[in-house]
Amino acid sequence: MASLITCPHCGVRPKEEFTIRGDASLVRPAPSASDEAWHDYVYVRANPRGRTVEHWHHVAGCRRFLVVERDTVTHEVYSVVDGATAAREAQR
Amino acid sequence: MVRDYNNRHALDQKLRGTPKPAHVDHLEVGHWQAIATVLAHAGLDAAVQRALSSTPDLSLRYCGPGEWLVVSQVDTPVGLMRRLDMLCGTQAHVIDQSDGRVLLRLSGPSARQILAKGIGVDLHPAAFALGGSTNVLCGHIAINLSRTGEDIFELIVSRSFAESLFEDLMTMGRPFDLSAAFSE
Amino acid sequence: MSAYRLSSGGLVDRSKVLSFTFDGRPLRGLAGDTLASALLANDQLLVGRSFKYHRPRGIVSAGPSEPNALVTLGSGARSDPNTKATVAELYAGLTAKSQNRWPSLGFDVGAVNGLLSPFLGAGFYYKTFMWPRQLWEKLYEPVIRRAAGLGRAVLERDPESYEKTWAFCDLLVVGGGPAGLMAALTAGRAGLRVILADEDFRLGGSLLSETETIDGSPAPAFAERVVAELLSLDNVTLLSRTTVFGWYDDNVFGAVERVQKHVAEPSAKLPTERVWRIAAKRALLATGAEERPLVFGGNDRPGVMMAGAVSTYAERYGVSAGKSVAIFTSGSSGYRTARGLAAKGVTVSAVVDSRAEASDAAPDGVRVIRSGAIVDTKGRQRLSGIVVERSGFEELIACDALGMSGGWSPVIHLACQRGARPVWSEDLKAFSAPDVGNGLRVVGSANGVYTLGGCLRDGAEKATAIAAELGFNAAAAQLPVTEPETDPSFAALWYVPGAKSKAFVDFQNDVHAKDLGLALREGFGHVEHAKRYTTSGMATDQGKLSNINAVGILAGMRGVSPAAVGTTTFRPFYTPVSFGALAGTSRDGHATPTRKSPLHEWAKKHGATFVDSGLWFRSAWFPRAGEKTWRESVDREVLNVRANVGLCDVSTLGKIEVFGADAAEFLNRLYCNALLKLPVGKARYGLMLREDGFVFDDGTVSRLAEDHFFVTTTTAMAGAVMSHMDYCAQVLWPDLKVRFCSVSDQWAQMAIAGPKARDVLQQLIDEDISEAVFPFLAARSMVLRGGIHARLFRISFSGELAFELAVPAGYGEAVAEQIMEAGRAHGICAYGVEALNVLRLEKGLLTHAEFDGRVTPDDAGLGRMFSAQKPDFIGKHLSARYGLTAADRMQLVGLKPVDKDKDMRAGAHLLKEGMKPSTLNDQGWISSTGYSPVLGQHIALAFLKSGRERYGEKIVVWDKLRDHEVVAEVCDPVFVDPENKKLKA
Repeated sequence: MASLITCPHCGVRPKEEFTIRGDASLVRPAPSASDEAWHDYVYVRANPRGRTVEHWHHVAGCRRFLVVERDTVTHEVYSVVDGATAAREAQR
Repeated sequence: MVRDYNNRHALDQKLRGTPKPAHVDHLEVGHWQAIATVLAHAGLDAAVQRALSSTPDLSLRYCGPGEWLVVSQVDTPVGLMRRLDMLCGTQAHVIDQSDGRVLLRLSGPSARQILAKGIGVDLHPAAFALGGSTNVLCGHIAINLSRTGEDIFELIVSRSFAESLFEDLMTMGRPFDLSAAFSE
Repeated sequence: MSAYRLSSGGLVDRSKVLSFTFDGRPLRGLAGDTLASALLANDQLLVGRSFKYHRPRGIVSAGPSEPNALVTLGSGARSDPNTKATVAELYAGLTAKSQNRWPSLGFDVGAVNGLLSPFLGAGFYYKTFMWPRQLWEKLYEPVIRRAAGLGRAVLERDPESYEKTWAFCDLLVVGGGPAGLMAALTAGRAGLRVILADEDFRLGGSLLSETETIDGSPAPAFAERVVAELLSLDNVTLLSRTTVFGWYDDNVFGAVERVQKHVAEPSAKLPTERVWRIAAKRALLATGAEERPLVFGGNDRPGVMMAGAVSTYAERYGVSAGKSVAIFTSGSSGYRTARGLAAKGVTVSAVVDSRAEASDAAPDGVRVIRSGAIVDTKGRQRLSGIVVERSGFEELIACDALGMSGGWSPVIHLACQRGARPVWSEDLKAFSAPDVGNGLRVVGSANGVYTLGGCLRDGAEKATAIAAELGFNAAAAQLPVTEPETDPSFAALWYVPGAKSKAFVDFQNDVHAKDLGLALREGFGHVEHAKRYTTSGMATDQGKLSNINAVGILAGMRGVSPAAVGTTTFRPFYTPVSFGALAGTSRDGHATPTRKSPLHEWAKKHGATFVDSGLWFRSAWFPRAGEKTWRESVDREVLNVRANVGLCDVSTLGKIEVFGADAAEFLNRLYCNALLKLPVGKARYGLMLREDGFVFDDGTVSRLAEDHFFVTTTTAMAGAVMSHMDYCAQVLWPDLKVRFCSVSDQWAQMAIAGPKARDVLQQLIDEDISEAVFPFLAARSMVLRGGIHARLFRISFSGELAFELAVPAGYGEAVAEQIMEAGRAHGICAYGVEALNVLRLEKGLLTHAEFDGRVTPDDAGLGRMFSAQKPDFIGKHLSARYGLTAADRMQLVGLKPVDKDKDMRAGAHLLKEGMKPSTLNDQGWISSTGYSPVLGQHIALAFLKSGRERYGEKIVVWDKLRDHEVVAEVCDPVFVDPENKKLKA
């Protein structure tokens, strides 16, 4: 966990302004994808030690979903980017 | 059956009664102003911002990418909607929030110290300059904060939270004898 | 009499005498005293009893590491247990009580434990009270808790007020001693935003008890000059009485300021304590060093103190710890204390030095015993003499106080609170701070710099470096001139051999050297194990004095370096912080905010009884004169809506406006039912699923224009739905042209329901709202007579002819009043959420009591809403799973007790008649119940296995929790008007 998150839209903010949704590396399967793919997407989560990407919702600020890349051991935050930007890049 | 309807302010119960003299640190509650949300169409954030910030009498408050609250002290809610539609109706969606938002103006030498009790954002002028605005958490309540003077901050809060925020602010201001009243 | 106030000197104000009481005894101190210095000045050396053996204990230190002098301050609800007398600022009217003694401090029955001490060794509780297990909770623990323990918490409501605040700075300096003050001054002059926090009520730290001069004037005067300059700088904030207790991620520090702990009558305007969260670009830890006690026989006798504390009491408070003071030291610090005392005319009876050789000079005429060791002490409740052993010979030396010094340990707690471990330094013979990066650096004696000049230089240099890093221009600091001094050295001495009586390592927890040996022999030699097994380093002081010796002793016994033993884990809080301070203003009515509906005042005027509903305050029912129970009011409201008309506040529903070319597509993917072809001017009931196929929320979707929708959510899920929409729009489908925003607060919304609803409403509206023009599910904007812009929806949550009218929130009250007036002739009544609930229950309409996260649309009887034709929507794929389509899923049904006078409770389980209650036999559960005044009996909505095939069957409603069981008949969940004749009237 971090105490402060630098929101790309709002600047440095305390963690209380955010809610954490979880793994940001998941990609929603196509409707026709296999049951396994859907099962994994909805139910299966890793609990990584070290670097991880998460969706943090800046719910008391700009209401944007941010992709926060951080370390679960050192709590260092490596990057924070807008979720839509990240999603568009992933879709490319 | 035709009648004039009275508009009741969300802080009517809190501020009703004879006005008391304002102290140096004072919380002024805007009685009548028009407020609207403006949502820019995709890719038109900059165009909308240009259109709005070049207009006198309109004060623009940043909420997030492509989203602002526009405050007018001169328009009626319906009038503001009409003006905004003309200014940027093809580039943005405009939503009246005049009844859904309450504006509080905190002024005085201790304003920053009072707000620091609820807001985890650096309000030093070097970090939060005059004219700046942002959505932020104040205690438990999400607000929009803007600096409209060296020692003047405006807080815009959702109507249903207004009483709670007001009580919080008065508690935060207690050591400084914060006073409160509707604006004239 | 032995401890006494010196005739002159110290930083106390001898003209301001303060009266206070200790255990009821009236005493006098001086302004500038701590409670401890004032007690010493009154020769009140005995201040408490130890944790386990109830041994008499005296003041040991002059600061926050104090293990013994824990007292309860104040009385009644204002009492504060476990306050360290050594940091409590004295004020007029202070009342203090000693703890852990009965019946009195001088005579304590619990001291009998000391006689039993051979049986009360480390791990004693664990071994003795193991068996029988069930007695632990009932007998052993309560008895032990009574016998052991420190102060008692009060059960009364805390009358104090607290607050929290944020602060931001370039540099936070923790500690206001020589290094900290010099750093703050250097950075402050360079223009950095500086916060200096110090736990003392007076800034200066060790300067306040320093005998050397700086720039030719006494050290305290130098401190005063620096503080004055810092106060004059706008960019510097000085926080005295403020303990920085924690270092958190991203260089955020927690600190607690004792705003009014030092006054008898706190001002109502100010908080008692204030918690600071300080976000600092850089921080300097100038927390100084802690002197180490020596572990020798009888070292817990009242009168045995830290040598540095003896100096502090003499120099800062003008109090001598005794008439004849002995010193036991393993380094030069002891000599310094001796010189200071001698200069003040206090007799120093001997300096016992554990080292064979030393260059340190004792004051003239004072006897120095080198290679000496104290092996025992004499006296009952205070020291009367020490037994010194040298070369095999023992000698009794009379003294009434002893200053001990086992060297120094840097205070590095904060630097180690984020996972980094202290590093053993052979040079310092101490654990030093690890390198934790640029954010936090250690300075002064916390950095192992033990000379005054060195501390000042270290502070100035590090602040200059930080200023440069942050882009400020720090002028080369002019260092104050200090006296020439030798670097104080010491020999590490963890344990003094030859103890003739108990040699305590941890005074607060009564751990002596032999306990650590026992722990090691029994396999608890790891430092973390030894701590738990012996309790060394636990409780309020967390071993600030004792830990280093415990580590040294364990290392010695294991034959390894202290580096190999390591330390226990440092965690916040550095010193205890009250719960009240941490809660701040978030208590009582402000633990969470309260949301009020725009119709709140209207409801109040009509006599509403309110109910908490999430953050909202909602009108529950509107009692009228003569109604004795809530049921009478609710029954009347329900019957009146069915017969005439009622008005209900539904403003708390979530309301969201959705815009854009892709708005319809977006909503079509969000809801499980088809919305693409919803015509403009129409509303539709909508059901949202979670991705796992279960119902998430329900509401209405109205199309106001081709690219403009108005969506409602349930009150409870308004926030969650909005966040879900944010996620879908931003992360799942970022290229859809859709924008939305909450207008929940903009509109006051009211339901007008009942056969006469239209007659009432038409009086406010010019436009025709007849069935032909404005039929069921019509939805559009219109203007009320008088010019109010409103939105009208022909939707119903009661099964009656009903409208929902939305008007700008400020007008809600006036419009509701107007409707009540227009409806008077039609018998209108206000109704609350209780009646609303009964009305929907009678119609089998659903809420989150039904949508509890385990229910699919088909379970709820809403399978027809699930649009399998749509290519994709949230929850579609996993809805087709086997488990979610099984034939024996629990399906929504109605229940009516066979005996009409019986009732049912939500949460009850359903069983076939004659079957034993078991998970296997479970047939379902009740989600909602209520009394239907229309049917004249209780009804329920329930989920029952294959329920829709079982109408007419008798089933047992079993509620063991409330010991309630009735037989009910399964029926259609729509109890009233199943043909919807009234709805579409």
